[in-house]
Amino acid sequence: MPLAYLSDYSWDDVIPIPQDDGGENPLALIAYHDDYKIATGYLRAVMSIEEVSDRALQLTSDLIFMNPAHYTVWAYRARLLFALKKDLEEELIWVEEVSRQFLKNYQIWNHREVIVDKYDNPIRELPFIEEMLELDSKNYHVWSYRQWLVRRFDLWVTELAYTDHMIQDDVRNNSAWNHRFFAVFGKGEDVGQSVIDDEIDYAKSAILKAPQNASAWNYLIGLLKRGERPMSDIEKFCNDLAAVQTTEHAVNVDNDRISSARALEVLADIYNSRNEVDKAAQAWTLLAEKYDPIRENYWKFKKSQAIQRLAATA
Amino acid sequence: MHPRVHRAVFRSRAGSRTSNSSILISSTTSVDTASRTKKNPRTRRPISTNSNTGVAVAMTAEQNNVHNAAVSVVDSLITESSTSQDDVVRLCAGLILDGQLPHLQRQLHADFLTIPMSFQLPPNYTGLDASKPWLVYWPLQALGILDPDSLTDDILSRIGPSIMACLNETEGAFGGGNGQTSHLAATYACLNALAIAQDEDVWLQINRERLYKWLMSVKRPDGGFSMHVGGEEDVRAVYCALASAALLNIITPELTEGTAEWISRCQTYEGGIGGAPDNEAHGGYAFCGLAALCILGNPIEMIPKHLDVDNLVRWLSARQYQPEGGFSGRTNKLVDGCYSWWVGGCWSILEGALSWITAKDVLWSKADLQKYILCCCQSPRGGLRDKPGKSSDFYHSCYVLSGLSEAQHRYSFSPKLRDSSTGKWSFMWAYKLELPDVVIVDEQNTVRPINPVHVLPAGTGERMHDFYAALGALEL
Repeated sequence: MPLAYLSDYSWDDVIPIPQDDGGENPLALIAYHDDYKIATGYLRAVMSIEEVSDRALQLTSDLIFMNPAHYTVWAYRARLLFALKKDLEEELIWVEEVSRQFLKNYQIWNHREVIVDKYDNPIRELPFIEEMLELDSKNYHVWSYRQWLVRRFDLWVTELAYTDHMIQDDVRNNSAWNHRFFAVFGKGEDVGQSVIDDEIDYAKSAILKAPQNASAWNYLIGLLKRGERPMSDIEKFCNDLAAVQTTEHAVNVDNDRISSARALEVLADIYNSRNEVDKAAQAWTLLAEKYDPIRENYWKFKKSQAIQRLAATA
Repeated sequence: MHPRVHRAVFRSRAGSRTSNSSILISSTTSVDTASRTKKNPRTRRPISTNSNTGVAVAMTAEQNNVHNAAVSVVDSLITESSTSQDDVVRLCAGLILDGQLPHLQRQLHADFLTIPMSFQLPPNYTGLDASKPWLVYWPLQALGILDPDSLTDDILSRIGPSIMACLNETEGAFGGGNGQTSHLAATYACLNALAIAQDEDVWLQINRERLYKWLMSVKRPDGGFSMHVGGEEDVRAVYCALASAALLNIITPELTEGTAEWISRCQTYEGGIGGAPDNEAHGGYAFCGLAALCILGNPIEMIPKHLDVDNLVRWLSARQYQPEGGFSGRTNKLVDGCYSWWVGGCWSILEGALSWITAKDVLWSKADLQKYILCCCQSPRGGLRDKPGKSSDFYHSCYVLSGLSEAQHRYSFSPKLRDSSTGKWSFMWAYKLELPDVVIVDEQNTVRPINPVHVLPAGTGERMHDFYAALGALEL
């Protein structure tokens, strides 16, 4: 039963190599469809002599549609494209078709990187990446690929605006926040204090929209550390979200005005850094008992660590 | 050969799903049905867990983690992330029992896990045709800790030939199937399967000199590793290379030069570890990075030297969600049963290897993870799953059960177990059953302990390593 692609090219001279699954009674056998069995038989045959031909290229196209996770086929395809000096833009267009059909596949992105690197032109990339992220806004491999692309072609200027667009869409999209951190600091240059100030304001305004949003908080704390700013810079901001009244040794929380457990956590860290362990301990107790009880053990651990440290220094 | 195709697996879409949801293969969890349903509630409010009926183990209030004083603070802003999160909370809330734990359906899961040993997998498994070694390893690891007796001599004797069919003789390394390009993830899965086989005749067929040279050929000048020649460089590749080399006792200073520093560059501002420098922090990669450090040297020294431990612990702690009790892999993503291992494994390593965590300290809720696994991750057709509404598969069965084992045991790094020298560090782990005030482990729910660095039934990797160590040093 000749398959469609087998009639495009002559395969008469090729003896397919059957798959050897090992022994008489191998584990995890798959009942392949016939076309896949036939195609992989020819693949093993042409790869065994590293054949460079249009029919081999066609074979890789067919196999990728049958099993896009077949990394061996992708790697062979890249070698064929280069050896046959194929039009790489045409390849990129073809890969886009495959990607639309197999959204979660990740071999595609390594292949695309190999092709674009050789093609040496990123013109199709950002629009295509954006299309993919519209469909799946947290796709790990697409974001990683975007990072590679930005570095490879020095495309830093568009990135802050793009992450803002994605964050506006979903302020909880952590991949977009991670990419923003990369966009600000990835070049490895000294970014300057005014940039840090702007980013701190950006993160704060995002937090005000959804005060429990861990993505924006992680970004804010990451900025402070990277910019070597003390946590106490955001004490007032946290107080507004966690409505904590403190006396010398005690923390009182107005229940109705707690809108962010994370603000309370940061306050605890600030108190602790000032050696106000009593106050920090009370904040951790509130987290453990009331505001973040699934992490009770962690808050208790923080508390006991701080108390031990205090005892050791006393 | 097996003439029959297994129907239970055929009915599911497990083949196409697992191909995309396994960490070491693709590192992305699949788009879940929950996030596709767009029943936007008008406002977000906390969803409490419901009572349910069912056979169970009675738990104390402490065990059940009843937090009477708890105040749920939920933002009112609705976005795509919050909608899918609310959907999952609703799904889980209906299954999480109040005061009772369902039993682990041991026989049902064992029946599911022995499918690849008794039947041909249906054609929709073609998506995993480049992951054949994983299709062997996942059910073996799961059965190895769930029901070792089901691994009969017949099954064990068939592992060797099945795995050796993936070997590329000239390179000494393994591909994702017969005739496929040598690949680090495939090599790792093959060697782990051979560890479970405990078949010395097959162990002798491994050409360690060639494999060592191949490992050096995928090592990058920056200290990282590529998955295959010309393939992607990431922290999975580092873990798979080092774990393989450790089992075979072929770790050298040349192989590991610059690698710990490369892993260190993968820790992000969030505290977790990404697939490569600048990538987003992710539970699967966090485990790979942490476990790799445990192979590179004494974890008590290596982990604090190369990672910001406080930030890592904070990020790991934020992976456990309420009310689900399970772990998510990234900030603002959904819980998924497989992170019971990827995140739970990080905990087992940190609890065991950090001197400032004493034997009394548990930094997360083992009881709540066990509850998520038993209430939400058991598929009625057998096997373990990502979350309610998903099909079970071999990948999730392996890592959910490994996570259950992690929740039930307490691991410690015990350098006194052997002489401390290069390449032995990952075989010095001891374990005991966790204390009942941390998690109640009913006899019927117990799974066996594992080696937390290699993800193998305790003792199997150790014996394989000792076998090669006894053969003496390689001429490299």
